Amino acid sequence: MGKTMAEKIIGSHTEEGEASAGDTVEVSVDLLMVHEVLGARIMPVLDEMEVDHVWDRSRIFVVNDHWAPAPDVRSAEIHRRNREFVRRYGIDHFCDVDCGICHQVLLESGLIRPGDLVIGSDSHSTSYGALGAFSTGLAATDCAIIIATGQTWLRVPETIRIDVEGELSPPLMSKDLILRLIADLGNDGANYRSIEFHGETVERMSVESRVTMCNMAIEAGAKSGLMTPNNAAREWVRSRAEGDVGVEVLPDRDAEYVDTLHYDLESIGLEPYVAAPPSPASGRPVSEFEGIKIDQAFLGSCTNGRLEDLRIAARMMRGKRVHPGARMIVTPASREVYMNALREGIIQTLMEAGAIVTNSTCGACVGGHLGVLGEGEVCISSTNRNFPGRMGHREAQIYLASPATVAASAVRGEITDPREEMTR
Amino acid sequence: MSRTIRGRAWVVDDYIDTDQIISGKYLRILDYEEMARHALEIPRPGLAEQIRPGDVIVAGRNFGGGSSREEAPRVLQVLGIGCVIAESFARLFYRNAFNIGLPALILRDAHTRFNDGENVTVDVARGEVRLEERGVLLHCEPVPPLMMRLLEAGGAVALYKMRTTERVSKQE
Ligand code: SF4
Repeated sequence: MGKTMAEKIIGSHTEEGEASAGDTVEVSVDLLMVHEVLGARIMPVLDEMEVDHVWDRSRIFVVNDHWAPAPDVRSAEIHRRNREFVRRYGIDHFCDVDCGICHQVLLESGLIRPGDLVIGSDSHSTSYGALGAFSTGLAATDCAIIIATGQTWLRVPETIRIDVEGELSPPLMSKDLILRLIADLGNDGANYRSIEFHGETVERMSVESRVTMCNMAIEAGAKSGLMTPNNAAREWVRSRAEGDVGVEVLPDRDAEYVDTLHYDLESIGLEPYVAAPPSPASGRPVSEFEGIKIDQAFLGSCTNGRLEDLRIAARMMRGKRVHPGARMIVTPASREVYMNALREGIIQTLMEAGAIVTNSTCGACVGGHLGVLGEGEVCISSTNRNFPGRMGHREAQIYLASPATVAASAVRGEITDPREEMTR
Repeated sequence: MSRTIRGRAWVVDDYIDTDQIISGKYLRILDYEEMARHALEIPRPGLAEQIRPGDVIVAGRNFGGGSSREEAPRVLQVLGIGCVIAESFARLFYRNAFNIGLPALILRDAHTRFNDGENVTVDVARGEVRLEERGVLLHCEPVPPLMMRLLEAGGAVALYKMRTTERVSKQE
């Protein structure tokens, strides 16, 4: 019986060199990403373990991104501890508060290659599947053990295969597609499983659009979201990785999937999708929400804070104004994204339209700072989670949507179909 | 782990995600005791104050979905919760709970079978839950061997330490 991408990649990181769905195996990790969880939670576990070494300083990536720069004393203390850790162990890869969101900066770093097995201290570590790496999030204790040993255990997941055909053209974005897929799967529809995304639509996507999809695979409960590298992904890796460009892993033709789903975008008539609170799996066509007044439009996060996201927002908002009843906050996902957007004049366009542009951080996405919601406020957001309390007050309402829908809604002050704003 | 857990059952709904167990805004609190006061305050305001050692959380589907945060099982454990029983768990919550030595038991239709606040006795190794006042015995899915090993060791850190000492003594 053939093997899936998850089986192959996990298998190649075991001593036996092989693994099948359902096995519980010990794996060697290629790279570990840790953010503020390091200073806050992992370091105390390392103390408890009486560990005073790291397994490999060149395979640990530390980021200060969630509350960056520190909005309060507590965050400052966590950042300070991270810096101290980096200095003490001579960690090679460190992004301090000036860098951007962990997943984006890690993708930009060139340290992720097809075929790698990557763990992050963050559930959206599934993002790196866009480059053909198996990646997943684990929490403090598991990360501490990886820091000490470079190893962890994984239960090899079964895989759901999703094939997508058809044109995805602006203002439709991969965000609309993934919101639709998650709505169909349900928020635990892929629990304990991996998702493989295939088909010509995925094959044609930019790296940015692919990351959005793999990033949100976790919102259906998936352990990982995987794609085979396309030309865009190959070029991305080639231009960033030093020398080693990894090993592309393809699923076998006779790989066994627990489920295979086919989507033809034309025949399903995919529309811009919006997920109403309180679940990312509650997506419905935007037409069902049109007219809902918003207080805030947020464009940012590891899901949709990249150049193509800012670019489409600027294209929709050029020469227009953010509605006087609303505010718009734009948080580029990384310094690199920010600088490129500056060069392209995107930042200027957005600011002229009245948007507030912040430094690169998780910020509003996690209700940390730079756009926290008050009681009863309504936000349309390009992020990935709309749980109660996620972006501030528990009575605030978060609607998840694509950057195009966020921009169109900012202009009208209410949830708006981006296709209308595009043609105006 | 032959220890039995005795306490009251506190029932919550389906789809209680990690942000509802402990909201992101409290993650910067370094002291777990202080953080734990905010546990479950979104779905069950005031519950954290009532919890006594040995009490049990009973939930519906996909308990602990969302973030990888270990703070979610940890705040429950710090409050004294002896185990969590749910119809199903999100993958990360399940793993994190056993890593810190908090048993998570899977029981079909879990949250419809308990009265909020009733007395229960849980035998984790056998997967048995007794509803004391009603004399009802419920059977959970067996805990997988690896998870049982984690519990018996007292969590992943304790297991790590046991293994490193074994390795050192083998080398000597
Ligand atoms: S941007 Fe939001 S979802 Fe992404 S890593 Fe930061 S807090 Fe998590």
